[in-house]
Amino acid sequence: MSAATAPGARSRYDAVVVGAGHNGLVCAAYLARAGRKVLVLERRHLVGGATITEEIHPGFRFSCCSYVVSLLRPWIIRDLELPRHGYEVLPLDSTFTPFPDGRYLLRDADPERTRRAIAAFSPRDAEVYKQFGQRMAELGRLVKPLVDGVAPDPTSLRPSELARLARLGRGLAGRGEEWLVGLVKMMTMSAVDFLAEWFECEELIAPMSVSGIIGTFLGVRSPGTAYVLLHHYMGEIDGSYRAWGLPRGGTGAVAEAIASSARALGVEIRTGAPVARIQVTGGRATGVVLENGDEIGARVVVSGADPHRTFLGLVGAEHLEPDFARQVRRFKMRGSSGKVNLALDGLPEFACLPGRGAHLTGDITIAPSVEYLERAYDDAKYGDFSRRPFLDIVIPSLTDPTVAPPGRHVMSIFVQYAPYHLKSGAADWEHQREAFGDAVTGTLEEYMPGLERRILHRQVLSPWDLERIYGLTEGNIFHGELSLEQLAFLRPVAGWSRYRTPVRDLWMCASGTHPGGGIMGAPGALCARALLAARAV
Amino acid sequence: MRYDVIVLGAGQNGLAAAARLAGAGRRVVVLERRDEIGGLCAAREFHPGHRAPGVLHDEGLVDPAVAGRLGLERHGLAWRAAPPVLLAEEGGPGILLAVEPEAAAAELGRRSPADAAALGELRAWLARLAPAVRRLLAEPPPKLAPAGWGDLWRLARPALALRRLGRADLTELLRVAPMCVADFLNERFATALLVEGLAAPALSGTWAGPWSAGTTTFWLLAECAAGRFVEGGPPALAAALARAAQAAGAEIRTGAGVARIRVEGGRVAGVVLASGEALDAPVVVATCDPKRTLLELVAPGVLPLGVEEEARRIRSRGTAATIHLALDGPLELAGRPGERLEAIRIGGGHVDDLERAFDAIKYRAASSSPHLEVRVPTVADPALAPAGHEVVSILASFAPYELAGGWTEAARARFLDSALARLERHAPGVRSRIVAAELLVPPDLEAAFGATGGQLHQVEPALDQLFALRPCPGAARYATALAGLFLGGAGSHPGGGVRPTPGLLAADAVLAGSTRP
Repeated sequence: MSAATAPGARSRYDAVVVGAGHNGLVCAAYLARAGRKVLVLERRHLVGGATITEEIHPGFRFSCCSYVVSLLRPWIIRDLELPRHGYEVLPLDSTFTPFPDGRYLLRDADPERTRRAIAAFSPRDAEVYKQFGQRMAELGRLVKPLVDGVAPDPTSLRPSELARLARLGRGLAGRGEEWLVGLVKMMTMSAVDFLAEWFECEELIAPMSVSGIIGTFLGVRSPGTAYVLLHHYMGEIDGSYRAWGLPRGGTGAVAEAIASSARALGVEIRTGAPVARIQVTGGRATGVVLENGDEIGARVVVSGADPHRTFLGLVGAEHLEPDFARQVRRFKMRGSSGKVNLALDGLPEFACLPGRGAHLTGDITIAPSVEYLERAYDDAKYGDFSRRPFLDIVIPSLTDPTVAPPGRHVMSIFVQYAPYHLKSGAADWEHQREAFGDAVTGTLEEYMPGLERRILHRQVLSPWDLERIYGLTEGNIFHGELSLEQLAFLRPVAGWSRYRTPVRDLWMCASGTHPGGGIMGAPGALCARALLAARAV
Repeated sequence: MRYDVIVLGAGQNGLAAAARLAGAGRRVVVLERRDEIGGLCAAREFHPGHRAPGVLHDEGLVDPAVAGRLGLERHGLAWRAAPPVLLAEEGGPGILLAVEPEAAAAELGRRSPADAAALGELRAWLARLAPAVRRLLAEPPPKLAPAGWGDLWRLARPALALRRLGRADLTELLRVAPMCVADFLNERFATALLVEGLAAPALSGTWAGPWSAGTTTFWLLAECAAGRFVEGGPPALAAALARAAQAAGAEIRTGAGVARIRVEGGRVAGVVLASGEALDAPVVVATCDPKRTLLELVAPGVLPLGVEEEARRIRSRGTAATIHLALDGPLELAGRPGERLEAIRIGGGHVDDLERAFDAIKYRAASSSPHLEVRVPTVADPALAPAGHEVVSILASFAPYELAGGWTEAARARFLDSALARLERHAPGVRSRIVAAELLVPPDLEAAFGATGGQLHQVEPALDQLFALRPCPGAARYATALAGLFLGGAGSHPGGGVRPTPGLLAADAVLAGSTRP
């Protein structure tokens, strides 16, 4: 059954959303909630984009890409009634860091236990730790209005913008100079320098600093990474800060819940429907053309693809002002991370802490020292994957038994660094993929002897694979680096940070726009809000 | 002996502060630990008959407005045009980067017309930016948290000046400022040698490589401030400042190291010299290292705990070594036979080589292929060496203050050898002409000049150690929490390099009766 409308015919849809990633779905749901007729088109056979669960090995369900949530905005969860549609998050409340010398650090939700664990390394740091968490949460609250609204534009002279800046400024200044200093430092320092102002022991600084580099092409000593640290402190589940969690059924369940809510609101979602291009006529987007040739007209087209793919691929540079095209091209994608997913025939043990325990059900971080992390970064700077990478590991099957057969387990390993642009070219990932996988499991084997023998299946996703399979340009998991020059009113292009584009009736709703990546949903929701406010649909 | 003001340090900033304060009628004494004035700007006879004009290289930063306010031209300061810089390359003529746009475009155009055009565009943008930036560098840093209408106006003024740039220029400024200088330049230029050569000065003395975020800010600050050079180099600047100070009635005492700052009734009462001699004054302007001033010269417990903590957090890691060479003949580059070049930049030819040189210090190692910022002062002033001889002064990056295993004789020899080997590849035979060589690694610079960590700018240039955060939030506007104690060295805004602005602005703060609430 073809749903195509003849060219020039009256649009059947108010909006067609390209891509059923979580942002596309959120945007569609909000538009439908406002009574608009919306179609979502997805290239793959399932919804979710990078927020998916796939059965890669029989009986094992992998959260192939994104693997933890917390940033999903609580107001979106409420508005779209996601719990009713199967959204449930199981808290992930510990961080375990093993060290090569057999020691380990386990931080969990119990402040007293954590204090004692840190005190074994540094009594002084143990005292400061709680204070630090409170300060970060407060800073996070200060920055939150920025994440839950459109980005203020300091270059605009419009009274409404100036008033907004003034309000923001007053809110900050009212806190006193100490807060401003803290905020400025946060925006400018490296994660390590920032943490070193609080803590003295590297065994704590190193694993804490990695939140500052996830998904970036920066090292923990690179200025600007302290801010990304804050980004990760903004996570909340049920209003409690710094809480990350695993969605029951894998991250795909989040997308499915949003999709289910969207469908209930009347959104039509078509999978296996790859969009070949966005139809632009007379400078305005009029619809899309599918790869099978079908044309679908709509009042507006909303792209859930990243800015490169949207403008340089689906729209085409010929429909853009040369200066805008140039600015899109220089928007840095540069994926720097990969993913290794393992199907295991049993639970491996850590040499430093054998047996089962809370340390396996939380977040496991291989980040033993600042030098280790810097060396991992240096490999990537010159076009190699890290020989000894930073790893962020979860074993979802321990918390959520539905994702693996009884007694068996899935292990999700986020790996950094894996630069998209290898010295030998991105396409060489085809040949380096398994060597990269070996570096990852080899690193882990040092901490978990016997792990490699338990692997039933290994899925290795290099940035090049992320691009091929999930359509993430250069494998960037955030649709563009989260560096200061690509945030807020500059994301993705100065003057076009508010979901609108220079192509009339073409809008953007995904992580390449403010406030950026992670399973946050804010870009999708804010885009829908902007569309409705502009009466564009 | 009773003074109105005691100035610590007779470097460029101490002398500038003294000249301004004495000129306003204050009784001023300048105390200098070393036997000569000038600090890092002092000429250094590193080998009999061979003098290097100071350790600092970037003398194009002297603000003419500051020189004017101090009347330096009346005291012998003369300007000259900045010399062109050669970006040297192995097996080629390199790129001679002239200050004049036409000459630079012509030279670069032979390699890449697109890059020549891009350089023209970049320089035009800089020219639009420069007036606003220069103003920021000529005034005290605005307070982060305005406390009244006056403060608000002071905060708004530079903001308005920036807004006058127009929206496109301002957006671009906000976009590029947090970027790393490698990305910033790679967006514009295709010639690898040019990118490396343009990036290098942004990293001088920083704990950062070209891929470190925010280095574009250092680049912009330096480029916007760059102007004419001083005839006779940094020592001539110091001499003019000393004459201005003395003419206004300031006393300058060398060989007078200060042991501590005396405090009575919660405010400054004077200083005690290392010799035990006590001097009285209600005001002390410290232009020596701020970290040492706040943590050592002032007794512990005098400053509020928070300020002491901030002072401890100041990062001042030295990252560059100085090499002085005496040659028995001219320095000649294979790629530029017969040419007399004053400024030469030698790297590996790619911005990644610069990054690799930086990587070393992350692991407390010295770079095995250091980047060389070469000056040949005898080109402009042959009198610095005996007839026919040449003095070469090199700033070699990166070399850490804390070297794993320590700066032993063997480690020093190894680093010097790496630097000279790199020089030799561009100037074959140069090593056989070396009459004398001196290497000053960061610990040497610390011992000689008293700068913590051997950091040439006292306080490491870093985004969180600039403007209202330099050297630390509690002492950023020259006045400190200790009544009567002011900071005014390179560790204060607008920072290091050959630029006596901090001293002058500190003196302004003294005269305005500034206090720290």
